[in-house]
Amino acid sequence: MVVFLIRRLLAGILLVILVASATYIMLNFTGSDVARNIVGETATPEQAMAKAAELGLDRPIGVRYFDWLGTTFTGNLGKSWFNSVPVSTTLLTALPVTLSIILGALILSAMVSVVLGSIAAVRAGWLDKSIQVGAVLADSIPGFLVALILAMVVAVNLGWLPATGFVPFQRSVVEWLRSITLPSIALAFGATAATTQQLRGSMLDVLRLDFVRTLRSRGLSDRRVIFKHVLRNAAPPALTVLSLQFIGLVGGAVIVEKVFGLRGIGSIATSAAVQGDAPVVLGVVIVMVVIVVAVNLIADLAYGWLNPKVRAE
Amino acid sequence: MKRKLILAGALALALSVSACGGGGTAAAGKTGGTLNLAVSQALKSWDLAEAGNGQDQEYYQPVFDSLFRLDSKGAPTANLATSWEYDKALTTLTLKLRTDVKFTDGTPLDAEAVKANLMHTKAGKGEAAALVKAISDVQAPDSSTVVVKLSTPTPSLLRSLGNVAGMIASPKSLANPQSPVGSGPYTLDISSTTAGTEYVYAVNPNYWNKDAFPFDKVDIKTISDRTALTNALLSGQLDGSSVAADRIDAVKAGGLKTDTVSPGVVEGLYIWDRKGTIVPALADARVRQALNYAFDTASIVKIAKKGLGTPTSQHFTSDSGAFVPGLDQTYKYDPAKAKALLAEAGYANGFDVVMPDISSLFPEMQAAMVEQLGNIGIRVKLDKIPFDQFMPSILAGKYAMSYFKTGGTDPWITIQLIVAKQGTWNPLHFEDPHANDLIAQISRSTGDEQTKAYQELNTYLVKQAWNAPWDVVKDTYASSKKVEVTMNPFYNAPPLYNFKPAAN
Repeated sequence: MVVFLIRRLLAGILLVILVASATYIMLNFTGSDVARNIVGETATPEQAMAKAAELGLDRPIGVRYFDWLGTTFTGNLGKSWFNSVPVSTTLLTALPVTLSIILGALILSAMVSVVLGSIAAVRAGWLDKSIQVGAVLADSIPGFLVALILAMVVAVNLGWLPATGFVPFQRSVVEWLRSITLPSIALAFGATAATTQQLRGSMLDVLRLDFVRTLRSRGLSDRRVIFKHVLRNAAPPALTVLSLQFIGLVGGAVIVEKVFGLRGIGSIATSAAVQGDAPVVLGVVIVMVVIVVAVNLIADLAYGWLNPKVRAE
Repeated sequence: MKRKLILAGALALALSVSACGGGGTAAAGKTGGTLNLAVSQALKSWDLAEAGNGQDQEYYQPVFDSLFRLDSKGAPTANLATSWEYDKALTTLTLKLRTDVKFTDGTPLDAEAVKANLMHTKAGKGEAAALVKAISDVQAPDSSTVVVKLSTPTPSLLRSLGNVAGMIASPKSLANPQSPVGSGPYTLDISSTTAGTEYVYAVNPNYWNKDAFPFDKVDIKTISDRTALTNALLSGQLDGSSVAADRIDAVKAGGLKTDTVSPGVVEGLYIWDRKGTIVPALADARVRQALNYAFDTASIVKIAKKGLGTPTSQHFTSDSGAFVPGLDQTYKYDPAKAKALLAEAGYANGFDVVMPDISSLFPEMQAAMVEQLGNIGIRVKLDKIPFDQFMPSILAGKYAMSYFKTGGTDPWITIQLIVAKQGTWNPLHFEDPHANDLIAQISRSTGDEQTKAYQELNTYLVKQAWNAPWDVVKDTYASSKKVEVTMNPFYNAPPLYNFKPAAN
């Protein structure tokens, strides 16, 4: 297990370096005149050139790359070229927003898909068909449309939840929950549909296995057979889908953050990329890759917990 | 299972009960409650030397007091400065200050503080700094007297000092303005503020004019997305915000009040290359006049702008002394006349021109512009650049002409922007000796003589077809029924002291 963990961690570090390096190189080919953008519209060409020199943009790309790599390895993500705010500060403000809505979406998605997937697999018949049709429909509706409808109906017309804004957890737990509910539901919509389908399929496979018949013949209740044995065996494939969904949710969060006026990682990344604020873009990329690696690792560990066979392998 | 359902039900109930108590908008009565506003652009910097003169002012107004206030006609009225006087040459301005004002860090707001601020702002690179560049020196003969020396008469100076350029921060904070320290009616509540997202301001208990600001708290959110902003207004999260033209019907249907204001900005086809360096045809005034005849400005305003604009042929608005009513009839839509003028100038087959693509922000404007120029034989090739490169490219002198909008309620500011040789929006530094003479005449004169010179310059610019203006832009401000707002065209958004809780 320890060897497995070390191997995954090393692979994760390599992935972070590769993705961040590729991003660094791509950022140099955007054609955007960053120094001019920073010094503003009224500055002279000399001021723009001085700014470029100050940022080190007048040096060859290879020198800049290794310089950046060295600094980043010491844990220093640098400062924004535009507002001089440390990238770590920006990320610490934006990460809770995005992680809150993604975590909320994942929890919602897991809960709802377990209920719907189990019902569809066990009950079959019209209920199963309805859930399947509903899942296909939910999967095909774009997340931004769900977000717009939720904001209009639940926030604007009914006034039940806020239409915009994020309240930090530490300021008020109830207000935090209220502020992430609609964005999380909007994000969870598509993810739930896919996970429900996956869970239904794998539960049907497990239900056909001999050990289920054996358990039933021993007189175990249906509920115990399904929730304790079938669900546990059917969970790993659904968990894989859910962990893959996480990566998709990071992308989906960009649109949802816009609709609900949230300043999360998505909006930070978009505005930094448009401006050409390389330190912020690279900071976001590094943090997101680290999170994705961590989520995959957690998913792998969860397989082991769910299925001892995997642990042995 | 039943227990879980009860728990889920209780949670939902708690959320909706909390929803009823949330929102915290302004309440009538002795305490004004919280004033919730939104701004679409993020704050650039707390450093007044780097300050923009547009939306930045909304973030600054709660914490920084200005030397003057501007009334609805743009005339300066007393604020931190109680009286002011120019010398005969109009190059020395003497201000008398209030003597009972302190910054929130305890430092007195005196002549030395004003001197430090004006010199600091002037040295900066922001838009506000550009308006006070003519200040050559500031003296503080005693603690309540400030003498401002100008290198050249600057008719717009008093108005500029009634806005961001005249805002005063604690001298101790000027060197490292990480958070604002001012003497204004509120202070920034750092613990409740999330930079870039939400700025919360608490009452400054020692403010000298507390009665003018009835709200207990001001909350300014940064919401750049139009949909999110509209939803926040409609759901009652906000008491006021500027709204885009395509959202006006929605906010009106939601029961919000809307007011329009014209901040003196004129949009249209701006001709940067009057020298003819890039497109030789543009050096000929007849060609530029043809461009003016090419546009059906009434239809552009009606269709593309949903009526939010006033068609015009000049750069000065009707509330400015430089405005000449008859000039708006100079170029009535007449493509045939435009073609005839082009032929007369030797361009019967038109000419080619490259312009920056603005479809990401102003698709309707671009469509109208390209089509109507095409109708008179001018073939436009659109250069697809990222929008963040739009203004830098124009400033770098890359384009001969493009869609643009700029201007100000003060005619002197407009002249400095688009006519002066070093004007920000005269990127190819075109110079016209007659226009320069008239500018010099304006700066030396006052009263009727100055108005006459302004109007003469305006007439000259229109006849020379300096640009091809379409309309004077109208901005819309939406506000909830919980507040009363008075518009003022001399500010980007209604100034904070123009917000009051509604009477009932």
